[in-house]
Amino acid sequence: MWQFIQDRWQSIAFDSYQHASLVIQCVLLATIIAVALAAVIARTKGLEPIAGALSAIGLTIPSFALIGILIPVTQLGTTTAVVVVTFYAFLPVLRNAVVGLAGVDRTLVESARGMGMGSLAILMRVQLPLAWPVIHAGIRISTQMSMGVAAISAYVLGPGLGKYTFDALATEGSANSMYNALIGVFGVVIIALIVDALLLLLGRLTISKGIRIA
Amino acid sequence: MSIAEPALEPDAAPAAQDSSSTSRLDREQWLMLVLPPLLIVAGSIGFLWWRSTAELDSVEANALRWSEIGRQTVEHIELTFVSAAIVVLLAVPLGVLLTRQRFRPLTPFAIGLANAGQAAPSVGLIVLLFLWLNGTGLSGFWISIIALSIYGILPVLRNTITGVEGVDQTLIEAGRGVGMTSFGTLLHIEMRLAVPVIMSGLRTALVLIAGTAALATFVNGGGLGQTLYAGISLFRISLMVSGALLVAMLALFIEWLGRLLELAARPKGL
Repeated sequence: MWQFIQDRWQSIAFDSYQHASLVIQCVLLATIIAVALAAVIARTKGLEPIAGALSAIGLTIPSFALIGILIPVTQLGTTTAVVVVTFYAFLPVLRNAVVGLAGVDRTLVESARGMGMGSLAILMRVQLPLAWPVIHAGIRISTQMSMGVAAISAYVLGPGLGKYTFDALATEGSANSMYNALIGVFGVVIIALIVDALLLLLGRLTISKGIRIA
Repeated sequence: MSIAEPALEPDAAPAAQDSSSTSRLDREQWLMLVLPPLLIVAGSIGFLWWRSTAELDSVEANALRWSEIGRQTVEHIELTFVSAAIVVLLAVPLGVLLTRQRFRPLTPFAIGLANAGQAAPSVGLIVLLFLWLNGTGLSGFWISIIALSIYGILPVLRNTITGVEGVDQTLIEAGRGVGMTSFGTLLHIEMRLAVPVIMSGLRTALVLIAGTAALATFVNGGGLGQTLYAGISLFRISLMVSGALLVAMLALFIEWLGRLLELAARPKGL
């Protein structure tokens, strides 16, 4: 096993980097879209339950099915992977951002307005910081989910560690097939743990001290 | 991939839950009972209409025979429910055991292990188990069921522990006070009150399993992923989209069933 990894260390490292990079970029993109959308939803009465239901329905769609629907439009390759990963990363963040913004005490918003803050300032300096712990929890869930979705997208030639899984399947019976399969699983688990640790650190640094739990 | 519950860590929940946010959840619940059946009916009608009018070549027509679609649907449902049954049989007793005084120190390890199991990519897990167990004579169908069961354990285990631990201690004491044994309070008080939480975990697991079952086709495990898989490998758009649509509708239907089950299992007094 170690020999196998040593021989391929360069390509394993590259694919791990690509896997992490795909997930992080898609989650970042999804977070920006989701938080912006949630800010709009929070201002409009009646949209919240609809957003919640649509997000729940979206999450029931299997990622492999979404890939199948997308291929005719986005073809094989990285575009499909990016769209699919972003789609699944988007839903939990949207849900949590909506819940988090709804949980901000209305009297605080009124106080901010009383101090002369405009809507944008209130959103950026009062509502988002208070909702951030909940949004942050959503981002962690999104990231974990995206790791697995990215692995599936390797079947349609997306980047990342999923290709080891499909190589393993294609070379079933050969000596290296089991090693490939192990890398396809544990490589992703390790990347997922590292990225989650970084996210925890990010939370530690960015969640306002006054509302931090523990 | 974990399907997000109201994707909150419980301690991160906003402290002030005013009445407007509970009615928001109720409206969402209501939407989730009404919307999925409408989508499924619309999707089915669309598919039936397309299937009976489209001009298909022999490969496509063969892959989309009614008998073939029926067989794959039944297989997919079998994969899902057999795995879910195994999950319930394993995760609920294990979760209850982990809330007993004697085993409580083990809880973080069990949750950690289940968490790590879910961080593993679903497709990687299925393929790894297949390569490992292929020589043992187990069919792809059963190997898929093992992988799907591993994958579905976490939500049920976690919710069983949360649900049982969330039961008010005074109620258990009251039970002891009227002469119940500790097994009696477990069965008649703790378990009953924990049912809504456990059922919501089961619904999450069902959706997760139904979606992941689409990947069983990679190891000859059957299910509706087969049409989708054929579509992608032969690059037939009609097969890709049909397969994807059928898988998605079945997953949506199973989530809806889970919601009905959740409502039906709720103790009348709550």
